[in-house]
Amino acid sequence: MIFEDTDFRQELLDTENPLDVKLLQTFLKKYDFDFNPEEVDFTMIVYNLNDDIIGTGSLYKNTLKYVVIAPEFRETTAFSIVVTYLTDKGLENYKQCFVYTKPTTAKLFKALGFSLITTAEPIYAVLEFGYKTIKDYQKKLEKLKVKTVTENVAAVVVNCNPFTIGHRYLIEKASKENEIVYLFVVSENLSAFTFEVRWKLIEEGITDLKNVIMLATGPYIVSGAIFPNYFLKNESWNLVSQKQAEIDVNIFTTYIAPILNIKKRYIGSENYCLTTKAYNTAMHKILPENGIKVIEYERISVNGKDNYISASKVREAIKEDKLNEFLNFLPESTKNFLLSAESDSIKAKIKQSTARH
Amino acid sequence: MEILKKSQSGSFESSDIIILIEPVEPNSGRNIDIDSSVMLEYGDTIKALITSKLDSYNISDIHLIAKDKGALELTINARLETAIKRACNIQKATMH
Repeated sequence: MIFEDTDFRQELLDTENPLDVKLLQTFLKKYDFDFNPEEVDFTMIVYNLNDDIIGTGSLYKNTLKYVVIAPEFRETTAFSIVVTYLTDKGLENYKQCFVYTKPTTAKLFKALGFSLITTAEPIYAVLEFGYKTIKDYQKKLEKLKVKTVTENVAAVVVNCNPFTIGHRYLIEKASKENEIVYLFVVSENLSAFTFEVRWKLIEEGITDLKNVIMLATGPYIVSGAIFPNYFLKNESWNLVSQKQAEIDVNIFTTYIAPILNIKKRYIGSENYCLTTKAYNTAMHKILPENGIKVIEYERISVNGKDNYISASKVREAIKEDKLNEFLNFLPESTKNFLLSAESDSIKAKIKQSTARH
Repeated sequence: MEILKKSQSGSFESSDIIILIEPVEPNSGRNIDIDSSVMLEYGDTIKALITSKLDSYNISDIHLIAKDKGALELTINARLETAIKRACNIQKATMH
């Protein structure tokens, strides 16, 4: 039987209505998806004229989620109806849309015009579509690239939420041991300290390190789209986090390191957060195979060996109103900022929040 | 005519084309990316259609992305016209 577009009806899911949500959950359960309405901004559903659900898809920011078409309707236009609607909405506010899917279904999105960024076998492939692609990010990096005479080029990726003397130590090490250091600052604004503030505190704190070039990570390194679990409230070390971390590291080795000729990546050892630990594991696994050396430094401590410096301890201290005990964790730029009224709104936000980052 | 905002038209469906338009810096020229399932045979035709449509609207600075799935000429023209009118804010009497 051949279906026409007019045989289908599309609707938005009323997430306030538990019956509607239940209906969709039952549909998605058949295909091994646990639908959580809190993880999406909206959900669209395609029905046939019998009012059976034949397909669905959701959008969270610019990421397509839970895109499923019932097997007997996969030859129809239902799939492109769902994807067209979701990307149309996503591109209203973003330069590109991302989709995480199984490597075996990546070809369906490719056939629509999405381009494959990378895969983490056997569970994930990431694709994108829109005004900007990873090639544009590469062009941007190309412009910011600094000519070097040696191969001694390193990268450090930091969130710095907020900037501590631990971060400073790692960056300084890299700066001393290399000709050029590219310092990538996570630009996703999902952390307690905004991107602008994090950037400013780092910039002020490393003015003496002349060979360090600061860059924004854009949507491709540790972003809400590429590595969503990094920003989850509860840390986790499961297959999903591990594979998301691998996607992130694959992007770094395939698209970023070759452009800037990066041969080393500096990381701090992780003693607290399981998600960051998963990230470090992925780096140790993937980077050396691709000719990039991982240089891991133990975190530094103050007043005794066990008192490791960590940004999450600083946020914890702000939350419990005992920042004064942790001032020795902070470089001048962060200290001055946190002791000034400028940081009042951020401190208030941290006091209310339960998030990790 | 000047591109004022991002716009989109068409769909991912077979025999259709999806057009994305975004504004660029003045005097940076036309940046046109075409991808088609029939690129080898009709890539140049699609390019020519886009160029002549942009000429007729006097648009010199634009970033245009076209993902074609075998659309007919009249479909391509209709999608282009809609996207351009949306981007230039000159679309009348249709729902967006």
